[in-house]
Amino acid sequence: MAQSKVEHSVRQDREAGGIGSALRSVFRRSDTSVVIATVILFVLFSFSNTSFLTPFNLFNVSRTAALYVFVALGQAIVIVTGGMNLSLGAIGGLTVVVAGWCMDTMGWSPWIGVPLAMLTGTLCGMFNGFIIIKSKLNSFIVTLASLFIFTGLVQGISQGFPYSNIPRDFTILGRNDFLGVPYVFLFAVAVLTALAYVFKFRVVGRRILATGGNLEAARLSGIRTDNIVFLSHTLSGVFAATAGLLWVSRMGSAQPSTGTDWLIISFAVAIIGGTALNGGEFSALGILASAIMLTLIKNGLIMLNVNVYFEQTFLGVIVLLAVSVESIRVALSNRTKRTKTDAS
Amino acid sequence: MLQIRHVTKSFPGVRALDDVSVEFAPGEVHAIVGENGAGKSTLIKIICGVYTPDDGEVLLNGARITLHTYKDALDRKINLVSQEIQIIPKSTVAENIMLDKLDRYLTHGRIDWKRINQDAARYATMVDLAVPVRQIVATLSAAQKQLIMIARALSSDARILVMDEPTSALTRHETENLLALLRRLKAEGVTVLFVSHKLEEVLAVADKVSVLRDGCLIGTRPIAGLTKAQIVQMMIGRDARTLDLGRLKVDAGHVALEARSICQAGRFHDVSFVLQRGEILGFYGLVGSGRTELAQILIGEARKDSGEVLINDKPTHIHSMADSLFKYRMGYVSENRKEKGLILSASIKTNVAITIWNRLRDRLGSIQLAAETTAARKLMHALEIRATGPSQVVGSLSGGNQQKVSIAKWLAAQCDILIIDEPTIGVDIGAKEYIHQLIWNLASREGKSIILISSDMPEIINVARRILVFKDFKIVGEVRNNGEEGAPVRGYEEVSQEIGQYLA
Ligand SMILES: Nc1ncnc2c1ncn2[C@@H]1O[C@H](COP(=O)(O)OP(=O)(O)OP(=O)(O)O)[C@@H](O)[C@H]1O
Ligand SMILES: [Mg+2]
Repeated sequence: MAQSKVEHSVRQDREAGGIGSALRSVFRRSDTSVVIATVILFVLFSFSNTSFLTPFNLFNVSRTAALYVFVALGQAIVIVTGGMNLSLGAIGGLTVVVAGWCMDTMGWSPWIGVPLAMLTGTLCGMFNGFIIIKSKLNSFIVTLASLFIFTGLVQGISQGFPYSNIPRDFTILGRNDFLGVPYVFLFAVAVLTALAYVFKFRVVGRRILATGGNLEAARLSGIRTDNIVFLSHTLSGVFAATAGLLWVSRMGSAQPSTGTDWLIISFAVAIIGGTALNGGEFSALGILASAIMLTLIKNGLIMLNVNVYFEQTFLGVIVLLAVSVESIRVALSNRTKRTKTDAS
Repeated sequence: MLQIRHVTKSFPGVRALDDVSVEFAPGEVHAIVGENGAGKSTLIKIICGVYTPDDGEVLLNGARITLHTYKDALDRKINLVSQEIQIIPKSTVAENIMLDKLDRYLTHGRIDWKRINQDAARYATMVDLAVPVRQIVATLSAAQKQLIMIARALSSDARILVMDEPTSALTRHETENLLALLRRLKAEGVTVLFVSHKLEEVLAVADKVSVLRDGCLIGTRPIAGLTKAQIVQMMIGRDARTLDLGRLKVDAGHVALEARSICQAGRFHDVSFVLQRGEILGFYGLVGSGRTELAQILIGEARKDSGEVLINDKPTHIHSMADSLFKYRMGYVSENRKEKGLILSASIKTNVAITIWNRLRDRLGSIQLAAETTAARKLMHALEIRATGPSQVVGSLSGGNQQKVSIAKWLAAQCDILIIDEPTIGVDIGAKEYIHQLIWNLASREGKSIILISSDMPEIINVARRILVFKDFKIVGEVRNNGEEGAPVRGYEEVSQEIGQYLA
């Protein structure tokens, strides 16, 4: 029967196994290419530029990458459920403005300002999630509308002016380090590790992925998909707020313009990092690698004296490239898989 | 004349086709049969340009052809009704039927909707699809969607019509209509390739049958003089067992589920029924008679306007599948595995364990990956799911094996009440017997209460021991075929006639 035939070839697969099959399974992973690309880029930069491997530069690169990780997580967490959050940057901006208003205008301590700002971001995410599940509209439309709502609030509250009177204590997180590694970076790695664990081992993580894979089927398997969608948008708000606050902590001032470039960054890092655009797949390692890669590229553009005003154009092109490379990788790995089995 | 010569095709871990050669003549209905995963769909997909063979060639009227996409096949008037339902849910019936030829209805740069709807209506009538052509497809049943796909293929004046399990979701009436249609096409010189697990249909309509087993062609035979048993013998390499499940001992005193006066505007009016504990209750009826719709109300997927559902004599509040599963231990195997039953992009493991993740946690609340794999392995073994392992992505399984996964998932859940909607769509003859036995054992050994929804008359009569007949959202009759205590169950003919009377 076919059964035995299948088992037979599986056995062969295993026996042929060892390094070969391990390598193959590595290449089938969606995050392999970005990790390799990042390493290559890193090596290239180290050799071509003497100032690259300086502690100062590495500190900066890892710190920026860490911030990108949070921005990307805000997007990735909704992409895995099959949605998107266009208002991510605006939520970040609003968090920054609220933090600035509390600490500068009102003169409150960070112990009050930070929780209030976090709460704001969280509420914004909840707002998105609530409207989406109640109205049954898709996340594109809803977050497009809330993008304008939140942006309006940012501008209305701040009148466009930055809040520069931020307590020094609050900048420790964004500026200091542990043995040369920025706190922010350690924080990002910790959060990514936690997420990787949650998506692999926790019921809620599995349910988020299942919802992204097929919402109807997930619901009919007893998953409260509305709750999952709500949760993912809430978390998106939390990540946006975190990113916003870390930005303030790093800059030592609260800029209302924070977040305006997050839309492209969040999608770029999330997609290049192997988050499947139609949901259901997430890679913590991929996000970390792609955040570093993007930082390196931006860093490189500056070193090459490319006009910073064109930066967004480059980012857009990179996203396009990443998506095309990804589809080529899938096609290629299918082909190699096929010829390999033929040979065996 | 379409010829397949020495075609071979492999996927990771399986050789789906192994040196297969067949010929299909004009004016011939040629059936292709075989167990789940035997390679039928793969052969069909090669003929239709969906896959390119690793080796071998396809000849059309003596000339070698290379098809790269389905469009190439369409250009050569080869038309496919695929096994998986392929429709655009948010478009109308007419748009879905005319999908691949909307460009023919351009007059002065504008689409002539009136003419499209008219033509679509003609093909809809041809396949006996009783739905207004302007209706949106999303809410239609699996059978109606299948009819749409058949109508789409018919509307293209195909010279070679390829049908992969076109009748899997259809009831007897629609099936007979389709078979009559195939005979007419045959008379017009069309080559019809017909994949089916229903051998009665094959015997009724085909001129020739080709049998595949493990990717190899076992043989091509003229139907004349062939019996069902002989075909089965070729398919599985042994004789088929006849399954006689006998009488079901039902715990008559205990009611597992009771529906009282269910009403839903425009559909149900005062529908009531009782499910005993340990019983297998059949819901039979034509497509669109309200069986699935009633099930949707029971599991909280659809709202009822009034009426009550009692489980173990207590009133229930079920607003979602989650309530149904976790509060009342009631499960539902969907009739539509692709859209509602499975996460095609996920592994067998994930799909099987999705309802029991909670139970697989260790003391700290982490899911035990090994336990998950074991659970999946056990069910894969029990249901003879053919795959390279628990990590294989469900979307790459053969249709029948996907169906088994969608059942496995609910077996894992170990519900007290199980609503099973068309469990054997696209399942091969051996596995079908197996699933019947399985449903039977769930009720007779484990005391589970089961509602079996099926359009397959033999299935419902063989497995269910009380059958509710549905028509136009009403229960029009109740047939008891369990027989008296100590007496044998009632005969098939007698029961099917009684059901027929209610439907007339
Ligand atoms: N895209 C794919 N990737 C990997 N394996 C595949 C793919 N398509 C088919 N297979 C495998 O090839 C084998 C033959 O599959 P095929 O779909 O042709 O079976 P089938 O005879 O149509 O079965 P069924 O009656 O269940 O529809 C199966 O073992 C299946 O798992
Ligand atoms: Mg098939």
